[in-house]
Amino acid sequence: MKFYRITALLLKYYYISINRVDRLFDILYWPILDVLLWGFTSAFIKDISEVNILSMALGGVILWLFVWRSGQDIAVFILEDFWSRNLYHLFSSPVRLTEHILSILIWGVIRATVSFIFLSLLAYGLYAFNILTLPILFMASAIAILLLFGWAMGFFITGCIFRYGQRIQVLAWSVVWVIQPFSCVFYPLSALPAWAQPIAKILPTTHVFETLRSILFGYGEGNLLYALVATLVFMAVTSLFLLQSFKHAKRSGMFARHD
Amino acid sequence: MKDIVVKGLCKSFKSRGKTITAVDDVSFYVTKGEIFGFLGANGAGKSTTINILAGLLTQDKGTVKLCGKDPYKDWEYVKNRMNVSTAYFPLSDVLTVRQNLRVYAKIYGVKDVEAKINQLLEDFELTALGDKRVNRLSSGERTRTALCKGFINDPQLLLLDECTVGLDPDIAEKTRRLIKEYQKRTNCTILFTSHYMHEVEELCDRVAFMEEGKIVTIATVDELKKRVTKHKVELTLAENGDDLKDLLKEEGLTVLAGRDNTLIFEVDVASDDVNTIVQQLVKQGLNLKDIHIKKPTLDDIFIHFARRKK
Ligand SMILES: Nc1ncnc2c1ncn2[C@@H]1O[C@H](COP(=O)(O)OP(=O)(O)OP(=O)(O)O)[C@@H](O)[C@H]1O
Ligand SMILES: [Mg+2]
Repeated sequence: MKFYRITALLLKYYYISINRVDRLFDILYWPILDVLLWGFTSAFIKDISEVNILSMALGGVILWLFVWRSGQDIAVFILEDFWSRNLYHLFSSPVRLTEHILSILIWGVIRATVSFIFLSLLAYGLYAFNILTLPILFMASAIAILLLFGWAMGFFITGCIFRYGQRIQVLAWSVVWVIQPFSCVFYPLSALPAWAQPIAKILPTTHVFETLRSILFGYGEGNLLYALVATLVFMAVTSLFLLQSFKHAKRSGMFARHD
Repeated sequence: MKDIVVKGLCKSFKSRGKTITAVDDVSFYVTKGEIFGFLGANGAGKSTTINILAGLLTQDKGTVKLCGKDPYKDWEYVKNRMNVSTAYFPLSDVLTVRQNLRVYAKIYGVKDVEAKINQLLEDFELTALGDKRVNRLSSGERTRTALCKGFINDPQLLLLDECTVGLDPDIAEKTRRLIKEYQKRTNCTILFTSHYMHEVEELCDRVAFMEEGKIVTIATVDELKKRVTKHKVELTLAENGDDLKDLLKEEGLTVLAGRDNTLIFEVDVASDDVNTIVQQLVKQGLNLKDIHIKKPTLDDIFIHFARRKK
């Protein structure tokens, strides 16, 4: 692994970001909509119920962004290379898959951090919700777990793209949102129907948001240690899958195809 | 010293339940400093072979040595010394020409990045377009950008897969000159495919002819030409030459075309003597104004090989 090749790729993502406003836009646009939507909804619910739903919803939106950004960015940046048929030049150059993926992960963290700071300020300005009042240890481990879990999903999506090509690109946009209802971001685990609870319990994300609720309201079944271990297992499995898919792509000629 | 050594290369693809054999037991070598041409009909397996060498495809069988090393074991060494270019894969659309080249210069660890880029842009007449995005360029301009990338790391081994498609005759000529000059200056090795035979003739030292995944022959262009013994003879006569056609046919020659005062027929230089034939015609009262013997071009050779089986 060579650091200068990773910085070369980072330079490329930087150029993509400054040349294409929409890529810059989506680190702010969708999260802002989310904050507005959930902020207003919880303000309304607060009027008619006892529960202080605001901090839960906003905390959820702001933390979820780490899963979203890290998971989707990997897939979208690789799709970008597919669309512009760029993998031909990239994978015939000295760039290794690990360098390629690592550069995207770093860029994803940068993007997520920008979103995070912006949203935290927005939530504070609009609803006087200060995310920094949450315990620092919880914040650090929650962010770490959510980032890693997002990466694991990114590896899975990328693996699928390498295997099946662009035709499954809809997966890139949707997987994160398929996971969300089962992650209990905005409601407690107990609110899920019985059939969905076992699925939710497997997901590390559920445990992060359950822990968030236990900090805010004193109840929740989150287990951060389980979440961390499960995330690492997910990561191990999906990175193996990604590696296999990469080899598969090299056998099928995916990187040198004209379509 | 050999920069490319390929032994027993095989590659097949599975597509909709069918197996397509793209490369079938291909072996060849290219010595350092040589420009080696790859010829063959569409689908013969040229690009597949090049993609395997470029590391984009994994072969089913066979070994590859590049720059004297195994590219799987000495990845870094080999990859930094080689490059590829093709008209069919442009650089990133959303980046400008310069941004693209800067990224690749850094990937290849080029020392003086800006100087190198300026030089290449000048060579390929792209200086004015440097800050334009690739998706706003004409297809020929895009091809030239991809060529610049191919030269960005001063490669010792260059794989050029139809790198001149879509270039206008002027810039195509310049490109060939640049390739030649670069080759002379650096003594690099080039693997070159093209469907423009005059290019291959102008550039290549040796050529391999591929057919259905196999290399059927490897030779210099001159050697190949000698294998086609049918030459065309074009006669220009003082009067209409229709009467002569039968005469030529009696001699066992193939008349290809004849219009007004010209007559084209084929002779086999291995068995026929043009001199004797013409003398005989003159004896018959032929009033000859001009004679032109067309030696086979690489186009003829290509057609000869491509149609042999059919
Ligand atoms: N990724 C792929 N998947 C399936 N089949 C493929 C793939 N790549 C190439 N082929 C098939 O392999 C054969 C060889 O293709 P290749 O691109 O090597 O030909 P070529 O000699 O470069 O032809 P051309 O002159 O048209 O560029 C063709 O029959 C092609 O359809
Ligand atoms: Mg080809």
